Amino acid sequence: MTTQAFLQVLASGILIGLIYALIAVGLSLIFGLMDVVNFAHGEFLMLAMYAMFGLVFVTAIDPVLLMPIVVGVMFVVGVAAYAGVIRFAMRAKANPGMVQIFATFGLALVIQGLAQYFFTPDYRNIGNSWLGGKTLNLGGVYLPWPQIYGGVISLLAFGGLYLLITRTDFGKALEATREDQGAVALVGIDRNRVFALGWGLGAALVGLSGAVLAVFYYIYPQVGGPFALIAYVTVALGGFGSIFGALVAGLIVGVVEALTALILPPALKSVGVYSLYLAVLFVRPSGLFGRL
Amino acid sequence: MNRREVLLAGAAMSLASTSLASTRAFAQAGAEIPIGVIWPLSGPSAQIGVDAKHALETAAEIVNGSFDIDVPTAKNAGLAGLGNAKIKLIFADHQGDPQKGRAEAERLITQDKVVALVGAFHSSVSATVSASCERYAIPYLAADSSSPSLHRRNLKFFFRAAAHDEIFSQGMFDFLDAQKKAGKKIETIGLFYEDTIFGTDSSNVQRKLAQDRGYKVVADIKYRSNSPSLTSEVQQIKSADPDVLMPSSYTTDSILLMKTMDELGYKPKNLVAQAAGFADKATFDAVGDKLTGLISRASFSIDMAAKRPSVAKVNEMFKARANRDLNDNTSRQLTSILVLADAIDRAKSTDGEKIRAALAATDTPGEKTIMPWKRIKFGEDGQNVDADPVLIQYIGGKFVTVYPENVAVAAAKWPMNG
Repeated sequence: MTTQAFLQVLASGILIGLIYALIAVGLSLIFGLMDVVNFAHGEFLMLAMYAMFGLVFVTAIDPVLLMPIVVGVMFVVGVAAYAGVIRFAMRAKANPGMVQIFATFGLALVIQGLAQYFFTPDYRNIGNSWLGGKTLNLGGVYLPWPQIYGGVISLLAFGGLYLLITRTDFGKALEATREDQGAVALVGIDRNRVFALGWGLGAALVGLSGAVLAVFYYIYPQVGGPFALIAYVTVALGGFGSIFGALVAGLIVGVVEALTALILPPALKSVGVYSLYLAVLFVRPSGLFGRL
Repeated sequence: MNRREVLLAGAAMSLASTSLASTRAFAQAGAEIPIGVIWPLSGPSAQIGVDAKHALETAAEIVNGSFDIDVPTAKNAGLAGLGNAKIKLIFADHQGDPQKGRAEAERLITQDKVVALVGAFHSSVSATVSASCERYAIPYLAADSSSPSLHRRNLKFFFRAAAHDEIFSQGMFDFLDAQKKAGKKIETIGLFYEDTIFGTDSSNVQRKLAQDRGYKVVADIKYRSNSPSLTSEVQQIKSADPDVLMPSSYTTDSILLMKTMDELGYKPKNLVAQAAGFADKATFDAVGDKLTGLISRASFSIDMAAKRPSVAKVNEMFKARANRDLNDNTSRQLTSILVLADAIDRAKSTDGEKIRAALAATDTPGEKTIMPWKRIKFGEDGQNVDADPVLIQYIGGKFVTVYPENVAVAAAKWPMNG
């Protein structure tokens, strides 16, 4: 294998890893905030991709400009999911963990069923866009512009999220609620409102990744599945609730997956990622940066 | 007549009419022959199932109605052999999962009392469903599952009118040999295939054929189906740069493969595909601009309509439902129902054994089908040996038949990117 081929695979792994990280961070955020694993995460991603597809189809404006609208739409979807489903699931008296799992899983099935009914199972694709199909050639290593754009957006989103959590009142309320749900009520923080905004933020982040992904990936009702599976591993690897952990783990998953496919038969490329995850689980059960 | 009498009479009449209607409905239901059809109606390959539904319903329309089309069972309404009984399709969804397929097949057989089953697109699902059918002594027709291993399991109730991947792959290599003879440079081959029975079986045949006929396999890549990224895989193809790349992929992976090759600045010299994703309209909608010159094996070619009027008529009926032309998959799905209905018609019975015997005795000349086949006549193993494949090339936004020469409409553009 040539150095160039190796560099190509490494670069591609990093770029897709940044997108894996962006998909995972919303999941991690919601989990960290309220110990709920959102099994409808992949469906949120799918909805965001369809939102982008629909907007481009109707307005014929470039996806790059429509991104904020998709993020806004997904924020509303996240808040609605909390207000309409999760809020009630959390009230369960017996076995609340199970109730929450089934509630989000049910939500996933409903969203997927509705998507298949209304959007049809046909594969969609955003044909023309500023970035679509353009590639940067760095001495034989090809970097597709849509994925570079995705990587940059991902890094900016992580930066923004860091500032939001460390520098704003909302971020402090988020951290405080995460620390002690009961105590925050005593200092005048509305727990429900923080949860709703947390879900909105989580969905907006996955919405951002969907908006980026829609530029270069095909769209169909089950598109979220493979990405969500990777997101769960990423979150577990990075540590539940850790934002920095999601970024590092996303990169690791992207690179390990790409390199495994280069060394082993590509059909076994998930093996590398899951072996690594198992290793981390044995040595450090809370994940790389987890605080459990 | 006073008001009370009017009311009573009205009530009596409505009672009479409802009971009349219900007996009529019952008579109809009694004469309907239930046929189980099992396809992926949801899940990653749902679009295949949705298209299949249109194709199968078109076939049922042809069987149940009276049409001037030269295919078996079209002329008269219903099945003459069973007092013009109509067939009724009962749909089941396997989502591409062999275990779900098995469960659904058992349900169709034991609860819906279907007289035969047809399926299933995924070869892996056809494998489990046909095993269940065998156990209940009910015929199974594999409409569009093309793995050669399917008819090599000594199943008595398994039938396949269409070609399998060995016949298809032989056609491809015959074509390559012909190109080579004509002075084109073809030495190396790249295999790119998904990791279920369809891809692995297809690659096994192609690997063997390549060896036997003196081509060198320089890339042999088995990949994980529905992967989020195919960069490493494509990098390996790119490094090997074979003269011919032969993918066996479903729709999602076909789209991603073409996109990734484009992103990595790689143009394959030639693409000869084992249909599936490369026969799906969705693939051409998404990446059609990168597929000019693609050659795919096919059981069907729409340009045959010029020579055979029945193809045009059936295609029109299908298009009215599905809003797209018949393709490699839908033509085979449609034909499977016609073949089965013809057999039930001749069997004059809904008994599994009798339908099986009628299927085994099938001998339909190719002209009486919408396919380019010589004829339909099943061998001992249930495989139709006269299902000649064609190769079609994607040129100018549509497919033209390029091989074999006797049905070719144009000469192949080779190399495709040159």
